[in-house]
Amino acid sequence: MKNIIELKDIHVSFDGEVILDHFNLAIKDKEFVTLLGPSGCGKTTTLRTIAGFVQPQEGRVLFEGQDISKLPAHKRQVNTVFQRYALFPHYNVYENIAFGLRISKTPEEEIEKRVKEMLALVNLKGYEKRNVSSLSGGQQQRVAIARALVNNPKVLLLDEPLGALDLKLRKGMQNELLRIQRQMGITFIYVTHDQEEALTMSDTVVVMKDGLIQQIGTPEDIYNEPANPFVADFIGESNIFGGKMIRDYLVEFEGIEFPCVDAGFGENVAVDVVVRPEDIEILDAQDGMLCGTVETVTFKGVHYEMMVRSDRFLWKIHSIKCREPGDKIAMKIIPEYIHIMKKEAGTVN
Amino acid sequence: MRKFFEKSYMALIFGFLYLPIAYLIFFSFNEGKSKVIFSGFTLKNYVNLFRDEEIMQALLNTLIIAAIASVVATVIGTMAAIGIQRLRKWQRNAVMNVTYIPVLNPDIITGVSLMLLFSIFGITLGYGPVLLAHITFNIPYVILAVMPKLRQVDSSIYEAALDLGASPALAFRKAILPQIMPGIISGFMMALTLSVDDFVITFFLKGVEVETLATMIYSTTKVRIDLSMNALCGVMVLVVLIILILANLPQKKSGNKKREERI
Repeated sequence: MKNIIELKDIHVSFDGEVILDHFNLAIKDKEFVTLLGPSGCGKTTTLRTIAGFVQPQEGRVLFEGQDISKLPAHKRQVNTVFQRYALFPHYNVYENIAFGLRISKTPEEEIEKRVKEMLALVNLKGYEKRNVSSLSGGQQQRVAIARALVNNPKVLLLDEPLGALDLKLRKGMQNELLRIQRQMGITFIYVTHDQEEALTMSDTVVVMKDGLIQQIGTPEDIYNEPANPFVADFIGESNIFGGKMIRDYLVEFEGIEFPCVDAGFGENVAVDVVVRPEDIEILDAQDGMLCGTVETVTFKGVHYEMMVRSDRFLWKIHSIKCREPGDKIAMKIIPEYIHIMKKEAGTVN
Repeated sequence: MRKFFEKSYMALIFGFLYLPIAYLIFFSFNEGKSKVIFSGFTLKNYVNLFRDEEIMQALLNTLIIAAIASVVATVIGTMAAIGIQRLRKWQRNAVMNVTYIPVLNPDIITGVSLMLLFSIFGITLGYGPVLLAHITFNIPYVILAVMPKLRQVDSSIYEAALDLGASPALAFRKAILPQIMPGIISGFMMALTLSVDDFVITFFLKGVEVETLATMIYSTTKVRIDLSMNALCGVMVLVVLIILILANLPQKKSGNKKREERI
């Protein structure tokens, strides 16, 4: 598949503070790409650079291979769904959606047809005459999506579009956005700080921190094979601690040697080890090598979260089995669930 | 007892406010020449008023100066407000403080200083200086009326219009302008009223050839007793009353909705 958008060596700074540090990214056509990171990581700036609202000091933006770096926002063939919807309060739903078509001087009957299509697409039939301020947050968001899509953009940019909605509504809108993306067959570039949202919706996740890309990959890759402790910690919950790679397929931590599936780090090299809380199996104390004492137990709905103190670490375990605080247990980790990363400066433990 | 005081308090206030005006208008219908002895009803003062070329010229001057000054001030003031809104915070505060100075300054200082300014540059006082002065003192009021509206506008709405293909000028006209229109209109109305109303500044800058209603009434009442001035005041009160009633009519119809918009 060809790249629809490429960012080449983009550098953005405001008042001397670097927001994007020589940033490179290629986005394939018809993909659902999510830019994920904590606030201040540069994800929104990346989106605004593509939209044309931010002029990078260095670097180029390519759209279908053409350099659009100098093209002002209103001439770019991308449309944006804004964080706070940014609907025009002085227009009704119909006129909000028709805005882009009126600007391009589309004939009236064509406008009516397209607006009707869009209202059907976002499930807002019959809302034409409604005042936008009388709509709920979810409905306003649908209008914002319809308004952006009516111009047939090849790329839709979404800046934390579900951030203001409550959990249940957010889940519903996630599915709806996916359906709309499949139905329209266009590229979505989605900005969020919600890792679960990113994993649920994306074809490709771009994890960012401090204006730099930490990892690009499918949701499975990002979750199962985090590139560094930051990604491991940001995507889901993790136990991250220092260990030593004895040789290929054998790692040591807590003074115990564990077989694993990673290789190529060398022999007797310090590494970071990641184990997801749900990948640790609880056994009775006499049945395992790695033992610990339960310190706290929290009910989380689907599972219990237990903090378990072993000789050297405090483990976080998610399990549907419940143990009482003070219980002695053993922990079993199978080789596939032990993930080894190159040691980085600043790792805890 | 308490009710009685409440009522008389109100009566006192309205009495002080409106009795002098009522008195003035009452004597505009006086047959005789006196301003204190009513000797019979007539409309001749009104007829004279509209036949008096001097007064009609002053009225025309007032309306032309007010119209031009308020339109120009509204345009400049609105543009200034947009510029100020985009400044950094400390710059914005600095400019806004400078904007407040002419508003708080006594008119007489504005009038004298402008008169000195024009004479330094050797400009003959008259129509031009009066017009420039009116535009100048109106601008801050327009800025102060537009700024709060502008501050309410979500800046991403402008970006949304750009994003949907509108050029910057069109995006402003379609997305921003309709939202700040109430502020612009109230700024314009304020400028218009202040301009019609102004005496002090006009007095210093008018030179010998130009008279507005305010300066005309002042100079006339000083030298002669003329009841057509009373008639003129009567007409002005009537016009203001009509404007007030018209301005309040649509508001009553749509009730709370309009009021919400204002807040």
